[in-house]
Amino acid sequence: MGGYGDVQLLRDDGLRLDGRKLDEMRPVTIEAGILPAADGSAKVTHGLNVAVAAVYGPMEAHPRKIQRQDRAVIDVRYNMAPFSTSDRIRPGFNRRSREISKVTAEALESVVLVERFPRSKIRVEIEILAAEAGTRCAGITAAAVALADAGIPMRDLIVGVASGKVEDTVVLDLDKAEDNYGQADLPVGILPNTGEIAFLQMDGDLSPAEFELAMEYNFKAAKEIHEIMVDALRRRYEGGEA
Amino acid sequence: MVELVPTLLRQELTRLAENDARLDGRGRWEAREVSLETDCLYNAEGSAKVVIGGTVVYAGVKFELRTPWPDRPTQGSLMCGAELRPVAGRKYEPGPPSPESIELGRVVDRGIRESGCIDMDSLCIVPGEKVWGVMIDIHVLSDQGNIFDACGLAAIAALRTAVVPAERFDVGEDHRLEVNGTPIMASFTRVGGRYVLDASEEEELGGDERIHITLGDEGHLHSLQKGLKGVFTPAEFAEIFEVAQQRCVELRKLVAEKEGN
Repeated sequence: MGGYGDVQLLRDDGLRLDGRKLDEMRPVTIEAGILPAADGSAKVTHGLNVAVAAVYGPMEAHPRKIQRQDRAVIDVRYNMAPFSTSDRIRPGFNRRSREISKVTAEALESVVLVERFPRSKIRVEIEILAAEAGTRCAGITAAAVALADAGIPMRDLIVGVASGKVEDTVVLDLDKAEDNYGQADLPVGILPNTGEIAFLQMDGDLSPAEFELAMEYNFKAAKEIHEIMVDALRRRYEGGEA
Repeated sequence: MVELVPTLLRQELTRLAENDARLDGRGRWEAREVSLETDCLYNAEGSAKVVIGGTVVYAGVKFELRTPWPDRPTQGSLMCGAELRPVAGRKYEPGPPSPESIELGRVVDRGIRESGCIDMDSLCIVPGEKVWGVMIDIHVLSDQGNIFDACGLAAIAALRTAVVPAERFDVGEDHRLEVNGTPIMASFTRVGGRYVLDASEEEELGGDERIHITLGDEGHLHSLQKGLKGVFTPAEFAEIFEVAQQRCVELRKLVAEKEGN
């Protein structure tokens, strides 16, 4: 975390700089099936974040050495577009995007019924078009909807959410200023129906009690986002031309 | 591997061409519906989303302060790049930029640069010390044919709606980027032996060479490119050039409408 303790992030009236309550998340909108070339796709806007996910497969896994005899491998690429941040990013992978790709893939492997597709590969491409703190969570949510849109069987959806700490106070869903100057960030991937956790990262400083409250906030937000995800999938497959 | 599908597809496209028909029922010079959205991305100083049929492309403009080249102390710079990442389609693989993506970025870049719509001197802040570098990045998210036109349109629309972030860099007030002109690209692909406008993914798969024409506001040529294996005659070029002129006027209107908003 940035850890600049002297930046004011909570207003005198107890609300946050953008007027949100402590346990209020930024607005989320989700659209499924937005990329015609993909087998499944989704776009998630979470606050000012824009994350797009495309799913291809299950398809033949090659080279052969990446194949698993008993299950599909999930190949995730999380990538930030050059224009997604305040300062332009040079195109290509970096250590941060490689790590996020890896743990996101492992989270998705925990919900997809990978054993149904031995020796195959499922490609998940996460593209961040606009970043305002919380892109990995928006990416996970987008990936889950895209997988469902592709008709890939899953035990549950997975929702990306984060809580954190600013000015010694636990808050839900950090925005950019809170992420830069806050004291902790706790992004998780929650299975909304089973209540299990498939993705977990954290950095900063949280007491056990603060951790507990942050997780409580995360579960509350996961429930809200889950409804939006289901609604997006319904809109895609109910009525309409599909 | 024997390319079985393209061979069959090729036969079908040839058969259709004999009856002056296309796979999706369009006329030879009929384009798919184009939708354009601008100012759609937070953090980009100019942005555009273009959808042509099932092709989806985003472009974003970023600015950076840089030192001018010693031999051009008053000139800023412009760079346009395109990324064809694996998100765009099943056929795209991860890895370093492919020759295809480099060609795409450079063809779009030339059309904009050579039209002279950006006066490099207008990007000067302090001669010899500080100039703006303008970077247009194009991101192809879904390729269902004719990504060139989509990329060209997204790039110029993002550029024309860009705001120079001078305040953030502490060099004056934010202002609209000065863009004098709207260069537009029109692309043709040889399908079933004859050229068509705005080829679909299947037409590209079973087609031959393509020609990209970028025209300025006065109808002048600013960039030409022939891609893939194949040859054409001057008469064929004259025919598509006429279509290109109409097409560019239409797309230029679309950009103007978005700016009016």
